[in-house]
Amino acid sequence: MKIFGFHLMPYPDLPAEHLNSTDSSWVTLSNALFDPRHGHQLYSRYIGELVAYDRAGFDGLCVNEHHQTPYGLMPAPDVAAAVLVPQTSCQIAILGNALPLRDHPLRVAEEVAMLDVISGGRIISGFVRGIGAEYHTFGIDPATSRERFYEAHDLIVAAWTRPGPFEWYGKHYKFRYVNPWPRPLQQPHPPIWSPSQGSGETVDWAARNRYTYLQTYSDIGTVRRVFNEFRAATQKYGYPASPEQIGWAVPTFVADTDERAEAVALPALDTLFNRLMRMPKDVFFPAGYLAPASAARVLAGKQGLGSGNVDVRDLVERGYALIGSPDTVRQKFAAYQQELGFGVFCGIFQFGSLGHDHFTESLELFAQQVMPAIRGLGVPPEVPASTVTT
Amino acid sequence: MTTSASAAPVSPAEPAEHMIDVRGRRVRVAQAGEGAPLVYLHGAGDLGDWGPELSLLARDFTVYRPDHPGFNQSDDDPSVDSVLDLAFSYLDLFDCLGLDRPSLVGVSLGGWIAAQIAVLDPGRAAKLVLVGAAGLRADIPTPDMFTLGPEQLAELLFHRPDLRAAAVAAAGQITDDPELFQRYLRNRMASAHLAWNPYFHDPKLPGRLHRLAAPVLVVWGAQDRLLPVGYAHQWVAALGAARLEIIDEAGHLPMAEQPEAFATLVREFLSLEGPA
Repeated sequence: MKIFGFHLMPYPDLPAEHLNSTDSSWVTLSNALFDPRHGHQLYSRYIGELVAYDRAGFDGLCVNEHHQTPYGLMPAPDVAAAVLVPQTSCQIAILGNALPLRDHPLRVAEEVAMLDVISGGRIISGFVRGIGAEYHTFGIDPATSRERFYEAHDLIVAAWTRPGPFEWYGKHYKFRYVNPWPRPLQQPHPPIWSPSQGSGETVDWAARNRYTYLQTYSDIGTVRRVFNEFRAATQKYGYPASPEQIGWAVPTFVADTDERAEAVALPALDTLFNRLMRMPKDVFFPAGYLAPASAARVLAGKQGLGSGNVDVRDLVERGYALIGSPDTVRQKFAAYQQELGFGVFCGIFQFGSLGHDHFTESLELFAQQVMPAIRGLGVPPEVPASTVTT
Repeated sequence: MTTSASAAPVSPAEPAEHMIDVRGRRVRVAQAGEGAPLVYLHGAGDLGDWGPELSLLARDFTVYRPDHPGFNQSDDDPSVDSVLDLAFSYLDLFDCLGLDRPSLVGVSLGGWIAAQIAVLDPGRAAKLVLVGAAGLRADIPTPDMFTLGPEQLAELLFHRPDLRAAAVAAAGQITDDPELFQRYLRNRMASAHLAWNPYFHDPKLPGRLHRLAAPVLVVWGAQDRLLPVGYAHQWVAALGAARLEIIDEAGHLPMAEQPEAFATLVREFLSLEGPA
């Protein structure tokens, strides 16, 4: 099992009038509510928490990109990664750069290559479309999101692997000279991960390219269905998915007892799911962001993430979060792993309003009492020595 | 901009429906009436219905009501990224229909398209009626329709309480009809493609309006909350010479809320001899 620690860097310290309202926490929530001095303290704390994953013996840590929201203070994930490179020795997964939001995808190729060379080849490069709200933020036509994503990806991989200079003449991007210095250290390029909530098109794309597929924020039924779809897709493309190609990202909290774990985690999860993730459906899934058939399914539902109206205890029971004593978490983890077959785990150990002391307590219990027991799960079968050729 | 609610005093004549092949892509055109040709260009949220105002106009005109490429029952056209692209596509449709110089009646997004066609090829439009037309920017705040769900949008579109209630109720049930809901989502996507950014206007249009040769009637709902009536004055100022008619007791879709008054205005304007 590859064990990663994820951080979203939220800003949960908002006025009660907002937290208790139904107003969106994305795009239009005034940044007058952001106190830079408090922000400075939060960044110091959160960077320390990411470094703590490395100290705890994790294989890597994860940062991501979101815009104009207290849900996460990382509009520039490459900046977050740059801060972490000199303070850590583990892998750093950028989950991910939101490609269609960039007018110039070559900047992503350059930034990630820089990070990869500086870090000595420790970068994992995630690529995402960005969530719907971010198409409002950047004024990008969401109906072009998917084709911009594919083309930007193709351009970045070409920039990393084809000797330059060469010309790129695509639909959305036209560059006379593609020739970035530096090139990445890892060859042919840093590992590419595809984080998603499970759209069929993304699952197929990740399988076709032999990338690691990472499922975020889902109930276990959805995780099971999507992982099965991913394995079927890899078979369609002529190979079996390895466990290291299948990742699960989930808020995680460990305390000495199940009761205490719930008492601490549920209010923090409520802040995450019902206050910070809250936005109107037509902002979450704007026109054309999903193909009409998928959009019909998502928009017809009255509840769901983003509604500000989800029962977090129910979410925990459905597997949206991994909560409990070390015993419970070990057992749940082993059962999920056996059922779902993932080999990459991205634990979100700070979420919503969860404080630093609780984060530290949970991380220590996990590292000491859970991690040793799950390390051996989800490891690809050893290749018999007799078949190894030298 | 769903038009599922309208004041309907007339029993509409059944229009004939044609699928017109325009350079390999099908465009649905509903057609009724006799007389001088009138092409009705629909709004962004229009779900393809033949409204009562069209039946009224069909008494005096041959009314053509195409679905824009990418909307309702017309095929997608991947070459269309902008209203200018749509205008080129409409010149092709006019050729296919044998329409030399029809009058254009455009509502909301359709008004923007009508103005763009008349600017692109001034000889192809006899007269222009712009109804709550998008296409220009004014220093007047508007709601961002791309952040609104169908019920919120219906609430904003209509002024008359009876029509508003009916439209909101219909919008609340739109997910119950899979075929209709798909059409709504497809129109929403096509609208985003044309009007996400810049929001429902073309910054270059004002500088090109001098090319427009056709007489123009600007019609607006006095209680339009989606594009407030200040945009009507913006159009009149940008056009230099245009007739303005503001219809009271109507929101963004005056032809749906006051079909008789609307049809009378259009009929009179189109029947005038010479420049209006």
